[in-house]
Amino acid sequence: MALKTLGKIVTAVAARPAALAEERRRGAKVVGAWEYTIPEEIIHALGLIPLRLAAGGNEKTTELGARYISSKNCVFCRHAVGQFATKKDPYILNTDLFVFDATCLQLFRVAEIVKYYFNVPTLVLGVPKTYDAPEAGDYFLAELSWFTKALEAFAGRPLENQRLAESIDLYGKIRDVSLEIYRQQAVPGTPAISWREVLDVIQAGNVLDKREYLALLLELAAELRTTPLSTERKRSNDKRIFLSGSLIPPKDRKLVEIIEDVGGRVIVDDLTTGLGAVDGLRFEEPTLRGVARGYLSRNPPHSALPYLDFATDPRLANVKRLIKEYDARAIIYHSLRFCDPYTFKAAELKAFLQPDRVPFLEIHTEYSGSDVEAIRTRVEALVETMSR
Amino acid sequence: MPAASHNTSQVRPEGPLFAGVDVGSLTTKAVILNGSVVGKGIIPTGVRPVQNGEVALHAALENAGLKREDLSYVVATGYGRIKAPYANETVTEITCHAQGAHFLRPTVRTVVDMGGQDCKAIRLDEHGAVIDFAMNDKCAAGTGRFFEVMARAFGSKLEELGPLSLTVEEILPMSSTCTVFAESETVSLLARGESPAKIIRGIHYAIANRISGMFARVGVEDEVLFTGGVAKNIGMRKALEEVLDSKILVSDFDPQLNGALGAAVIAKSRGGSEG
Repeated sequence: MALKTLGKIVTAVAARPAALAEERRRGAKVVGAWEYTIPEEIIHALGLIPLRLAAGGNEKTTELGARYISSKNCVFCRHAVGQFATKKDPYILNTDLFVFDATCLQLFRVAEIVKYYFNVPTLVLGVPKTYDAPEAGDYFLAELSWFTKALEAFAGRPLENQRLAESIDLYGKIRDVSLEIYRQQAVPGTPAISWREVLDVIQAGNVLDKREYLALLLELAAELRTTPLSTERKRSNDKRIFLSGSLIPPKDRKLVEIIEDVGGRVIVDDLTTGLGAVDGLRFEEPTLRGVARGYLSRNPPHSALPYLDFATDPRLANVKRLIKEYDARAIIYHSLRFCDPYTFKAAELKAFLQPDRVPFLEIHTEYSGSDVEAIRTRVEALVETMSR
Repeated sequence: MPAASHNTSQVRPEGPLFAGVDVGSLTTKAVILNGSVVGKGIIPTGVRPVQNGEVALHAALENAGLKREDLSYVVATGYGRIKAPYANETVTEITCHAQGAHFLRPTVRTVVDMGGQDCKAIRLDEHGAVIDFAMNDKCAAGTGRFFEVMARAFGSKLEELGPLSLTVEEILPMSSTCTVFAESETVSLLARGESPAKIIRGIHYAIANRISGMFARVGVEDEVLFTGGVAKNIGMRKALEEVLDSKILVSDFDPQLNGALGAAVIAKSRGGSEG
């Protein structure tokens, strides 16, 4: 880890559970979310501490979760339930209210399960299936108004316009500098930061205090401006891979490690836990209505299950745009076991890209080590095809 | 197609020599190549992949009347490739099968490989380079291991399954292609008094249907070459032809050695300048 700020971020994340516990002792309230469409700006503006609780990759946690739902449920949902079942997750233990949104129809059922089995307070935000439908805006604004009122009651204070504007501004700066850092990892040659490190940086923002996080991001961006390239790293510039598909949350690095191990280089993604978390969100006005419109103006993830026409689906267009913008040479489509919305879309994306002759590999996996070698063979073969 | 024959004269084959070693889950194979195949070896895979590769390579060298130092370049493939100190380079079995097929028949555009523990559909271009591929996922259906288990359930030899399946017209539907469940279903059907030949035919068609999805994903383009140990099973070949609605070719060269052959072809292209 040549960049000093990366070390500082790792240290800050390691210290965060203890810091959260201390803040709670002083009276702060923590809101933990599994989300794509929950406006964290509102939670922050109410003086609550927002966390994103998504994690993955642990086989034992997944098995624990399957005791409460089914081994045939989405592996990420099983893992989410398992995070409660272990009774050891430091962020779960330091959360006072658990919020979910209904973007993914599987994930928001987890709210029911954890409320029933673990007796924790939950809140679910309704999300329209088709973001650009005429009724969607009104529906989401109504849902968001209700959600905000529930959060106001929990926080014991009303949402103030000035504070919402400040939070929107803070989050906007976080996204802007994150994007600057993200673009740096994709430059030709040997940039000082890799996509995987940027993913870690983006996901550090799930738990860190937002002002501290912004300061670290600004420091990292400045360090990258003075140290844009690395003399130590060797990175293939022609094995530029686009990682698409189901989310890759913190702690789940199996596929990413395999790609790097066989000589591939991820340079762009459209994961909701990666670039999707920092790209494409703009607010026309710092109001609840503006926030609602801003969140619905993003591309819906596949998990939202909108019915969109093949020819005009903005998600497909987004993939093409990113391929061009980041000069990707192949796509690895990551589908998690029983994450049906993404599995449905794999063949469609492959067909969509076929005229452009972009090599496409679907990796269907779960949080288990049993398929590591099988995945390695497939990814290595893809990288071999890129060597021609 | 270059002839494959072992070197009975013990005269050192001419030119630089290259080897491919395919450490598979059930068998380890090695092929020695100059312009054509001059030696080959095949052994059962044991618990030590490194040793298996070395023994198979030694068998192929012995078959060709050669010594290790006669080889200019060695490529290892198969699941055991991750630890192959005897090789100059490792390449995936997907690329190797494509190269082996292209070496045997340059007009081949699709490869069906059914090996010991996996099954692959590979599309290749006019140079033998892989365009697209798909592999079986977390399931042993259509692999050599599957047929071994089935042969045991019938008390038959592995090589008897294919011909037996062709002795009847009727295809008994099998509901399962999971190795374990198919075995128990087979036992139930036998207990019910069903004809073994009909059950075996049903198994072959169930497998062909099961893996046809892989071919839908990569597309089937003529010519189609069937490789891997299961390609020796005439019943599987016929079932695949019917289900895929394509003529399936099997080379005269041992299809089980195709991966090792491809590895040797790659060794020749990579190490040619060193020879």
